[in-house]
Amino acid sequence: MSIIPVPPFLEDIRRKGLKRATFEGVDNVVERVTAGMNVQDIREALRGEAPSRRPNPRLQPHADSFWLHMRPSYFHRDMTGLYPTFRLGWLSTYFVFFETLTGIFLMIWYTPSPDVAYANMLNIMSGVPMGQLVRDLHRLGAEAMVLIVVLHMLRTFFTGSYKKPRQFTWFTGMILLVATGFLSFSGYLLPWDQLALWAVTIGASMVEAAPPEVVGENLNLLLRGGPDIGANGLLRFYLLHVLAVPAILFIFTGVHYYKVIIHGHSLPPQKENIGEDTAKRVPLDKRVYFIPDALTSEMMWIGVTTFILVLLCIWFFHAPLESHADPQVTPMGTTAPWYFLWIQGALKLGDKVLWGIIFPTVVLVVFMIIPYIDANPSRRYADRRFALSAMFVVMSSMTVLSYMGLPEYGVASSADEEIFYALTHEPAHNKMGYILPIPFEQLAPGMYTTCQFQQCELADGQSGSDGIAALNEELQDSALGRSVLATMTGTGNPVTAQMTAPRFRAVPSSSPQLESVLNQFAGMVDAADDELFSGWGAIVITEAQNNLRRVDVLIVFEEGTLDENGDLVRVTNEDGSPSYLVREAHIFIHRDSAYFQ
Amino acid sequence: MLQRMLIDKIENRILVGVVSFVGIMVLVGWVAINESARMQSFERQYLARSVERGAELYASNCATCHGTDGLGIGGQGPALNSPHMFGFDYFAEFVTERTLLEQEEQQLNNELDDLREELVSGDINEERRAEILERRDAINERITGDDGIRQQIAMIDEEMLTLADQLLPASDNEYPIRITADGEVQYTADRLAQVSWSGTLYDYVFTTLVHGRPTSISYWGSPGNEVQMVAWSQRAGGPLRDDQIDDLTNFILNWDRGDDWTIEDALAVRQYAIVPGIGGDVEVTGEPAGTDVAAILQTIADEGIRGDVARGEALYNNRQTSELGARLGCSGCHTGGVAGPATVDTWDATLELRLNDPALAGYTAEEYIIESIVLPQDYIVEGWGANMPGGFGQSMSIQDIVDVSLYLRSYSDADHSDGVMQPADG
Repeated sequence: MSIIPVPPFLEDIRRKGLKRATFEGVDNVVERVTAGMNVQDIREALRGEAPSRRPNPRLQPHADSFWLHMRPSYFHRDMTGLYPTFRLGWLSTYFVFFETLTGIFLMIWYTPSPDVAYANMLNIMSGVPMGQLVRDLHRLGAEAMVLIVVLHMLRTFFTGSYKKPRQFTWFTGMILLVATGFLSFSGYLLPWDQLALWAVTIGASMVEAAPPEVVGENLNLLLRGGPDIGANGLLRFYLLHVLAVPAILFIFTGVHYYKVIIHGHSLPPQKENIGEDTAKRVPLDKRVYFIPDALTSEMMWIGVTTFILVLLCIWFFHAPLESHADPQVTPMGTTAPWYFLWIQGALKLGDKVLWGIIFPTVVLVVFMIIPYIDANPSRRYADRRFALSAMFVVMSSMTVLSYMGLPEYGVASSADEEIFYALTHEPAHNKMGYILPIPFEQLAPGMYTTCQFQQCELADGQSGSDGIAALNEELQDSALGRSVLATMTGTGNPVTAQMTAPRFRAVPSSSPQLESVLNQFAGMVDAADDELFSGWGAIVITEAQNNLRRVDVLIVFEEGTLDENGDLVRVTNEDGSPSYLVREAHIFIHRDSAYFQ
Repeated sequence: MLQRMLIDKIENRILVGVVSFVGIMVLVGWVAINESARMQSFERQYLARSVERGAELYASNCATCHGTDGLGIGGQGPALNSPHMFGFDYFAEFVTERTLLEQEEQQLNNELDDLREELVSGDINEERRAEILERRDAINERITGDDGIRQQIAMIDEEMLTLADQLLPASDNEYPIRITADGEVQYTADRLAQVSWSGTLYDYVFTTLVHGRPTSISYWGSPGNEVQMVAWSQRAGGPLRDDQIDDLTNFILNWDRGDDWTIEDALAVRQYAIVPGIGGDVEVTGEPAGTDVAAILQTIADEGIRGDVARGEALYNNRQTSELGARLGCSGCHTGGVAGPATVDTWDATLELRLNDPALAGYTAEEYIIESIVLPQDYIVEGWGANMPGGFGQSMSIQDIVDVSLYLRSYSDADHSDGVMQPADG
């Protein structure tokens, strides 16, 4: 016997030979790591074979390991198919971890301060390798999580799984739904761009409406950290987003899942007698074991879902980043996130307090207490005509309200403003003004008019090159012509300051996209003929700087009102000629801006 | 079908799962490969959009003083779209060439010295001697011969003069160039050099936008309509956020034409930056007074030079330059008797205290004051340090001295009818 203690492994090699000793050593390690399954057991499980030794080693990890002790060791065969769960609960859980991981990555590069938050975003996009991908994944994951959690809730409702004994499970699920929505919403503010600031301003202003006034005011102050959202508000939303709401989410995820396990996964309604619940008593021949069946299934769903997310984030979805937040500039068409559109839509119905606060609260509370007010013991579809119909009505109403929440619905703005917006607005909500994506080469400097496509009254009802020529003639030495130029000069266009009269020309054939936009522009002006009387438009492109062009958009129309017969009552100048209004908007486009990508 | 494929068979699940995970790895790897190109293109795109926003900010905030085209507005604000701003040196090639030629000449002269030394040492054989003489001739030919260094330099000077002549009209708009009486071209090509800025142009523009130019009101605009470059950043009390200052800076820097600035560009500028106080076109209308007090007094008496109290006050308080184009800044120290003797009782104190000092026996008040101006260190009143700078004899003419002295004397009630210096108005 040696005085140096020989490790048991060396002893093994001496006794059994290197090969056998190594295999047994590996086997041993694997069995310890898996808390009960050796290589042979894993191989059998993955091959779909029955376990070759007793006691069943596949049950051992459930007994001995921390993570698997939370999972049941077997399920009822009738609930392991795609129906009835659609794997929505599992995916919801997965997204909690997915969002946490991607969120931690983003946290490393983020400081919650209005001074640097936006610059941090730019850095994530341009200075952090994979930064954009992770940001896109986090954002798309958040939207997907809201969707999946809502679908999970709907599924639970339709299969009646919220009924006794799972009432409290449903209740905690509703808390998770609200937490998910608020997590998604509170993340909106963090990039500190226009989208963030205004979506959250709308959201926070609902809080302000909470009755009575003193409560609403103070809640609003608490949330925003001041009368307006600023440094304090951003920090609060950040802390809510990364600390408070996740804490609630994690805790209730635990409670929710504990309840799911305690009561077992409910079977499809038709498999149970009315009033019975046999989920916990699974006959031996109906058992499907977690290892390997549920485990491989769960892994597969994670893989497929993540693959789809990554695929979407590379080619189809990029998290929006608008221009820097500016409390002075209210963008047109501000919307809440899609899952809150129904509240925004409801707000258009009238009173802020009633529709913005009371209505959503009532909806939520009713949803939360459904299991306690629904006394019908049957989970079968045929016995639940009222409940199912009511849910369809609710879903339809939500859809309609959401549609009403869109900016397209019921926005009152003047026709010229609408057209300017349609043509020039900067990228927002993944849309942008028609002019922006025109390739730089096609923005040939020059003056173009919609009278090329429109029958303009000023151009004697002609269009095409005749119309342009007639318009040029009309504007030569005229007050209107000078006014058209002065409008652009007045907003700082040095080129028009040098000109004496507008000189419109036809869009060159090398600029088909510009031509198409001008054509659309003409259509929009024509369509608004009840507001823009004998209106016509112009697009004026001038060189502003190296690789930078200025695009002026002009709308010219007669001043007047419509009388009760729908006839135009003109406003005229002192000499009796019609008075025209010239409206202008302009943007600058740089060669490298690449809006078309 | 899907149900059977995906859910029922374990091998299908494993297959789909493995394919998905491999797919994720491939996709992420693909992103990683393209990441650096993507980041660069994002940066380029972002800079472009920043320039667009800057253009809008410029049009609404800056164009009123600096011009919509950035070429400046006479008397209102300097051009930002100018070769001077971006440090384009029209003479760069000439200067480089000239410097190289001068260096070569210097080296050749050094070599000549060495050869001469070797020659006079006498410690050489005939062969070496011939070699040295041959080399000497070659060097002289290179320096002074046809197409030699001297001639090349002269040609360059001529070309520089021609170019300077073309640029000279821009000096009417403060472009810092002039041709001296000896035909030398003097210019400052770079705005940053002009203001001794050691950072980048971006930093210079950014910091000017942030903080403004608090003193610009004293040399921009017209009397009653003074204009000032105010602080634009919210940090310094202005209206713009720092990201907007960044946008503006990017827009302004986008005027740079690199190496493509032309003479027309320089002439198109309506207004270059004004350098307050020193520099610019100095108007010299008088001779330096010198430091000989007796001679100064003699000149005043001989030529009957009379003074202007109002002009003296303007000189004293830095509102006007001396006849030699200098700002004197007397009131900077001589105010309230803190950093230097007070203005108001200088003359009376001279009469009552200084002239009674035995060290100054025989002095007149005029003599004492003039000496104090041109030779301030010769007599220091007890209690004051030797802080007054010298050199006023060079930066002031006799007329300036008379005007300033009479301004000081205007605070005194004593009878001065017997003095050498008298105001023009009696």
